[in-house]
Amino acid sequence: MKKGFKFYIALWGAKVGTILLKLLRRNATFFPGKFALKVCPDFIKKIDKPKTIIAVTGTNGKTTVCNMIEDVLKDNNHDFIDNKYGSNIDAGIITTLINGSNIMGKSKKDLAVLEVDERSSPKIYPYLTPTYLVCNNLFRDSMMRNAHTEYISSLLTKYIPKDTILILNGDDLIASNLAPENKRIYFGIDKLDTDGETCENIAKDIVVCPKCNTKLEYDYVRYNHIGRAHCPKCDFKSPKIDYLVTNLDLNNKKMILQNEEKEEEYDLISDNIINIYNILTTIVVLKQMGLSSNQINESLKKQKIVDTRYSEEVVDNIKIITHLSKGMNPIACSRVFDYVRKYKGNKVVILLLDDLHEAVNGSENIAWQYDTDYEFLNDESIKQIIIAGARYLDGYVRLLIAGVDKEKIVYKRDEIAAIDYLKLDGIDTVFILHDLYAMELKETAKKKVEVMVRNRG
Amino acid sequence: MKIEILFPELCNLFGDMYNMKYLKMCLPEAEFVNTALDEVPVFTKENVNMIYLGPMTEKTQEKVIERLLPYKSRIEELIEKNVVFLFTGNSIEVLGKYIENEDGSKIEAVGIFDVYSKRDMMHRHNSYLVGKYEEIEIVGFKSQFTMMYGDNSDSYFVEVEKGIGINKESKLEGIQKNNFIGTYLLGPLLILNPLFTKKIIGKMGAEAKVALEEETMSAYEARLKELKKL
Repeated sequence: MKKGFKFYIALWGAKVGTILLKLLRRNATFFPGKFALKVCPDFIKKIDKPKTIIAVTGTNGKTTVCNMIEDVLKDNNHDFIDNKYGSNIDAGIITTLINGSNIMGKSKKDLAVLEVDERSSPKIYPYLTPTYLVCNNLFRDSMMRNAHTEYISSLLTKYIPKDTILILNGDDLIASNLAPENKRIYFGIDKLDTDGETCENIAKDIVVCPKCNTKLEYDYVRYNHIGRAHCPKCDFKSPKIDYLVTNLDLNNKKMILQNEEKEEEYDLISDNIINIYNILTTIVVLKQMGLSSNQINESLKKQKIVDTRYSEEVVDNIKIITHLSKGMNPIACSRVFDYVRKYKGNKVVILLLDDLHEAVNGSENIAWQYDTDYEFLNDESIKQIIIAGARYLDGYVRLLIAGVDKEKIVYKRDEIAAIDYLKLDGIDTVFILHDLYAMELKETAKKKVEVMVRNRG
Repeated sequence: MKIEILFPELCNLFGDMYNMKYLKMCLPEAEFVNTALDEVPVFTKENVNMIYLGPMTEKTQEKVIERLLPYKSRIEELIEKNVVFLFTGNSIEVLGKYIENEDGSKIEAVGIFDVYSKRDMMHRHNSYLVGKYEEIEIVGFKSQFTMMYGDNSDSYFVEVEKGIGINKESKLEGIQKNNFIGTYLLGPLLILNPLFTKKIIGKMGAEAKVALEEETMSAYEARLKELKKL
């Protein structure tokens, strides 16, 4: 393809810009791509791409899955480009491609691992064909960007290139029906003892058959629309799983994965079902890339979920757990609330979920709180809930509507001052649940909790 | 007292169902009836005090139009009889004349109100709103792909102080006719606006009081102050 003058100006300008930004110790993961797009709007079409591209999309777990894929590949001496430290929208993807190319715009590496924002599909997939497109789940996300799952799944189906092989969660009836004409590989987890017959979550995004509108019958529900279902009237049903976890042993943190009657054992680095899906997704992608189960497992065993997402430490016999709980993302928060309530022992929960940008520049649309299962926090084992931040009054009302006893709730504007009210008598674990953009706040809160634990009488 | 929630299995986006959960806390003696899309609505056969419809996906809008179209005259009759209706988010669009897609194609709607809406699926509008409904200040949020057009100057719900009306050029939000209220505001509208909720309850003939009054009023007053400052 003839690239043209504009392309080279964009490429070289972006490369010079990257060097300058790095010299200034600025983040060079977005603006070079933005510059290139401005100079040459079809830049993404023209730049050479690696032969193999793994794209990871979906509502929750994109970053974790990408991190794990990248770490295992690196551990096994694979060379690749990625947008680990960059943006997952078009400008970030372009920046990654620019960094991975020489001055003539030729790709220096044969493999790319790219996290791709679902909403950016129209700007990316017409010009970049992933070899594999991975989708772990499609849930309600920020209503302001993503509206609803029907919108996002339609967008993906419309723009996913027909030659892309899909790696999909077969337990997710929305994700598993993406781009139905494409080749696909399904992964899933067999029925668990904890699965139910009915859904106890607020958000249920596929309740009727997309083919004939008949109410679907769920064989079992894991959470939200995750589970297996069939239409009683037509042939619509959950797909046959290619990679199936047949035995999930949470006590020993191991799982058996079955593929074409062959069974393999893997270690689990987390007992949280969300992360188990992330691990499973990672394994299936890496197996498609030709890595052996031994290579994958030995590398995965060395990993841990990054501290920005999850951390735990024990201070004077009290465990302090920080857990990312993405605000405005109802399912991510609900999964964390479910994890907290089921965690053994007595707990205090500190909720720092407000969007700090909105708190400074506007007023957060709190509708997402009412798609989120705050009811899970109404649990006997949760002895105190501290809710703090700009939306503390709204959070208080939400907890009361969820049935939480007033006596259990501390609600304050100042996030750190609120922790003064922490009651540690008989408590085994303090959970600090925080938004993605509240890392500094989370650290300050954690330090204060540590001090209070050490100083308790 | 009977309150009918239309098609809650589908028309439940953006936490709007909690409007009804909160109303149930306010009216513990009331009967709440959930009507699924494949069921005949209760309002077609008997009297109800309130009918609620929440936001839905674009495909669902078409199903809902198909479901409600045969009952157009009954809905008009109930509006004339001062039955309380609350339609939130894009649910109001199903009672307009039509919904227009970007390519110009039109989905004929139930046609009770002389308005129409236009979709722009690649541009989502997000905003907050402060405005007046009768003597009450209303606060709320919008998040939508569509704008509505038509003359609602004699039939609006809220006179907007901050934010937009039925479209970006309008300062008149929603549709009101007798006790029918349709608004693009979405999410927990009744929880965010306890004074408005009292009004709705009063219109249904019940004692105008709300649950968690002190707590919801504190949150309402804080938001009102905050939004007015922006």
